Amino acid sequence: MPQLTCIDPNEQAIEVAFEPGETILQATYRAGVDGILAECGGGCSCATCHVMLTSDWDGTLDAASPQEADMLSFAVDPTPQSRLACQVQLNEQHDGLTLTVAKRQY
Amino acid sequence: MNIGIIGAGQAACTLIAELVRGQFAGKILVFNGESHRPYQRPPLSKTWLHNPTDTESIRLLPEPIETHASIEWIHDKVVSIEPDQGVITTNNARRTVDHIVLATGTRAKTLAIDGLPADQVHVIRTLSDAIHLHEALDAAHNIVIIGAGFLAFELASSLDHPERTIRVLAKGVRALPQISVKAADRLLEETPASIRVGVTIERYDQDSASLITNHGPVPADLVIVAIGARPNTELASACGLGTSEGIPTDALMQTTHPRVSAIGEVSLHTQPHLNKVMRIESISEANDSASTLAKRLLGAPEPFKATPWFWSDQGQLKLQIAGLAARNDDETCLINTQTERVVIRHNSDHVTAIEAVNAAKEFMAARRLFEQGPISRQALLQAGSVFSLLQSSRS
Ligand SMILES: Cc1cc2nc3c(=O)[nH]c(=O)nc-3n(C[C@H](O)[C@H](O)[C@H](O)COP(=O)(O)OP(=O)(O)OC[C@H]3O[C@@H](n4cnc5c(N)ncnc54)[C@H](O)[C@@H]3O)c2cc1C
Ligand code: FES
Repeated sequence: MPQLTCIDPNEQAIEVAFEPGETILQATYRAGVDGILAECGGGCSCATCHVMLTSDWDGTLDAASPQEADMLSFAVDPTPQSRLACQVQLNEQHDGLTLTVAKRQY
Repeated sequence: MNIGIIGAGQAACTLIAELVRGQFAGKILVFNGESHRPYQRPPLSKTWLHNPTDTESIRLLPEPIETHASIEWIHDKVVSIEPDQGVITTNNARRTVDHIVLATGTRAKTLAIDGLPADQVHVIRTLSDAIHLHEALDAAHNIVIIGAGFLAFELASSLDHPERTIRVLAKGVRALPQISVKAADRLLEETPASIRVGVTIERYDQDSASLITNHGPVPADLVIVAIGARPNTELASACGLGTSEGIPTDALMQTTHPRVSAIGEVSLHTQPHLNKVMRIESISEANDSASTLAKRLLGAPEPFKATPWFWSDQGQLKLQIAGLAARNDDETCLINTQTERVVIRHNSDHVTAIEAVNAAKEFMAARRLFEQGPISRQALLQAGSVFSLLQSSRS
């Protein structure tokens, strides 16, 4: 299975296996990565699944939808690399990449 | 202290997760009355319904929490509780705990229709219901959804298919009565269903495969009843802790018995947002009431103070509501563009809810403003958007 490296809010690196087609949220949530709350369970309505991707992800993803961008503007300290974990679908290209979970979700 | 949680839905799982993260010292017994491991309910009526075999994607608890050593899962329905002794009884077991948590949620209301075979009637409350509905879809060309709330129209969008005709029949005078006319109109513009209001159903006629109504016959080979839910209060009522309306609690989710708490949509308590005792059916209520109880059980009680919020996906449209309005609250349209619609619900100048269609920024700004205190309709209209009012309140 392909894998991601997730840096949790305690700066622990956790290897997370994923199935292509699932979202970052599904993969990280199942693995129990700390710091992802996902109060709305992927409904793009809570902004508590905020993660930051490294530049290695550039070019592998579509830009955030207007809805996701709007929600992200209310996340705590969003950066240009911020995404909502529930809105990003993973594929084979993402094997080996790294993301950081936001320090605080609110 | 050992606790026994009855039910393993949204509220129960939020409580479990917060207790585990907070390093709760006792043992946690969870009685799961369903045959599936804990799952999320909102996807059941949304696009997930296209492929309801994918149960992994709607899992509710992270693996390390679900398998945490402090938790014992009991896959059984609870048949009675004895608060004074802390006893919880199923058909197969009798367990004693220090504290009982009722997180029993609600069940779908049903409707008996004369002449309609049981296998043609569906409700959608559980994962089993969704799987059952999906299995019946191949043979269904005329689907009738009875009820005109969020669930009915989410289902209509999710079941849309060139070979199916979907009709929504409602008893009341309009569809989506929970929200403003203006927000409802926007959502209904894109529903694939045809809608009839003011309908009473007399019976089902097998020969013509139709529901006979006061508006004439309506073809139906599959009927979904989506007319709301009723709280599961029987366990509580049997020991004097519940009414047919719900299980009354204080602001710390404590029932009238010191050894019993109630959380989630079965709990009936004062909603500070409206200063009214009521039961709310939403994920926010399940999460916020569970958090309130978790803090208390972890020794740092804080009274319930959250403002409710809600969302519903209707095909490509997303409705998000911050706050909660009474059905007869007034409505004023704040934003109306090609893509977005934002409606203020209010009681004279006092804003009770903001309904946002495809306007996530306005919804989030409304949640933040409600956290700061009451919102004035006049101030919103002057600012022109919820977001502008939030920004000016911060500068
Ligand atoms: C199809 C659908 C779509 C929804 N969509 C949304 C949405 O988009 N947004 C939103 O905010 N809300 C939505 N909701 C509402 C939301 O899912 C509920 O408000 C929430 O699940 C309530 O959580 P709860 O824990 O109180 O109850 P539940 O999640 O219903 O859990 C209660 C559990 O207790 C169990 N139980 C009851 N009695 C016993 C017993 N005696 N012994 C053992 N177990 C027992 C039940 O079987 C059930 O599993 C939706 C609901 C449904 C059904
Ligand atoms: S889980 Fe709620 S926005 Fe991603």
